[in-house]
Amino acid sequence: MTTPDITLYTAGTPNGVKVSIVLEELGIPYKVKEISFKDEEQKQPWFLKINPNGKIPAITDHSRGDFNVFESGAIMIYLCEHYDPEGKLLPKDPDSRSQVIQWIMFQMGGIGPMQGQAGHFNNYAPEEIPYAIKRYTEETKRLYSVLNNALEGKEYLVDNKFTLADAISFPWVRAHFLTGISSIDEFPNLKTWIERIYARPAVKKGLNVPTPDKVQEFTEHPEKLDEFVKNARGFFKFTSTDKK
Amino acid sequence: MTTPDITLYTGVSKNGVKASIVLEELGIPYKVKHISFKDKEQHEPWYLKINPGGKIPAITDGDFHVFESAAIGIYLCENYDPEGKLLPKDPKLKSQVIQWVMFEASGLGPAQAQAIYFAAYSQEKVPQAIERFVNLTKEYYYVLNNALEGKEYLVGNKFTLADSMCYPWVRSHFIIGIQSIDEYTNLTSWIARIDARPATQKGLNVPIPDKIKEFRENPEKLQEHIKYVQSFIK
Repeated sequence: MTTPDITLYTAGTPNGVKVSIVLEELGIPYKVKEISFKDEEQKQPWFLKINPNGKIPAITDHSRGDFNVFESGAIMIYLCEHYDPEGKLLPKDPDSRSQVIQWIMFQMGGIGPMQGQAGHFNNYAPEEIPYAIKRYTEETKRLYSVLNNALEGKEYLVDNKFTLADAISFPWVRAHFLTGISSIDEFPNLKTWIERIYARPAVKKGLNVPTPDKVQEFTEHPEKLDEFVKNARGFFKFTSTDKK
Repeated sequence: MTTPDITLYTGVSKNGVKASIVLEELGIPYKVKHISFKDKEQHEPWYLKINPGGKIPAITDGDFHVFESAAIGIYLCENYDPEGKLLPKDPKLKSQVIQWVMFEASGLGPAQAQAIYFAAYSQEKVPQAIERFVNLTKEYYYVLNNALEGKEYLVGNKFTLADSMCYPWVRSHFIIGIQSIDEYTNLTSWIARIDARPATQKGLNVPIPDKIKEFRENPEKLQEHIKYVQSFIK
């Protein structure tokens, strides 16, 4: 196993912390380059060479010929395949490995996009569109119920241990109230699962990269959330899909 | 390599053909169970045991279940693609394929699926949502087009999962009102190149004959299909 030398390009979003959590959990040393959305750094030519899709997170693995990886799911799998020899986060057993990858895709194709749209239409869209708000809020809750059922009688999703399957959905589910889903009381397994994961020291470290964890701050001080959305709305208006 | 014992649970959707294309390209024998959306079969308890997410596709391989189209593609390749035809064995190429697979799963697929929903099936016409998701889709087409510059395929200059996951969406561009993709010259030739693959074409005709060409040539047929789906979709 080569000695890792990783640069993580990231920002304070659920997708960014997915990767910093994995890096911390595996004890992989890494440098952080914070990407500024305000300055549209993610669309700059130098960054597009690393991630042609112009989003965070992305990594460069300098110990493997400056190899670039984009998409959080792909980064998490890459890090485990090269730097997780014990199969701590991505089991070596083929069936367990597949089950972890299935739950990774459940987040990548489901929770992420649907909760992302719930956040957009609840907080950032220029006009309030009840039809869209309802659609994405309900679908996100349906996806939460799938996770909640899958955790019945279990502490974690696969092999009853913390794996990428949990690490990938955790940042999104804990941020539910930032995307218009004010409570997850109806999903008791999810609540205990979130507490269980938050208690992991490496997870806490990863959540505070590149900036202090806002979700925890807003959980403790709800009045700061309105301030955040007010400021973010002005800035998010300048992404290309909202340009008029 | 164990002997596959695959049943594919699929329906009329771009996500379904992603799985049948891989099965055909790898020459893996499989049974098909056509899940009826009209009868909401995907929500029935027996199916939720196979796919707790309540969607298609899913496969069973003997007693082992796999849900999510990308997880199915990766599973089939890791177990039944010893030559690394669709998922290369070389670690760098393998990662690059998985990066594009994730790009489709998290970006292109969801954007175009929502565009299709609002353009064709939603019970209310929401112009802002149509515009949002069509624009998002176009951004992803632009990224793909750039990535194909000077190349025939996305990774390792050969057809892989990276191409097979994105292809079903891009070929259906006209359903969301993107009448032509001529401006994306690389995408146009890439589509034509994949259209010519017999195994991919076989996979497109599962569980029923592929209607995309017919819909493009006969807009009334597309409208008929839309009305039919509207009768049972939420």
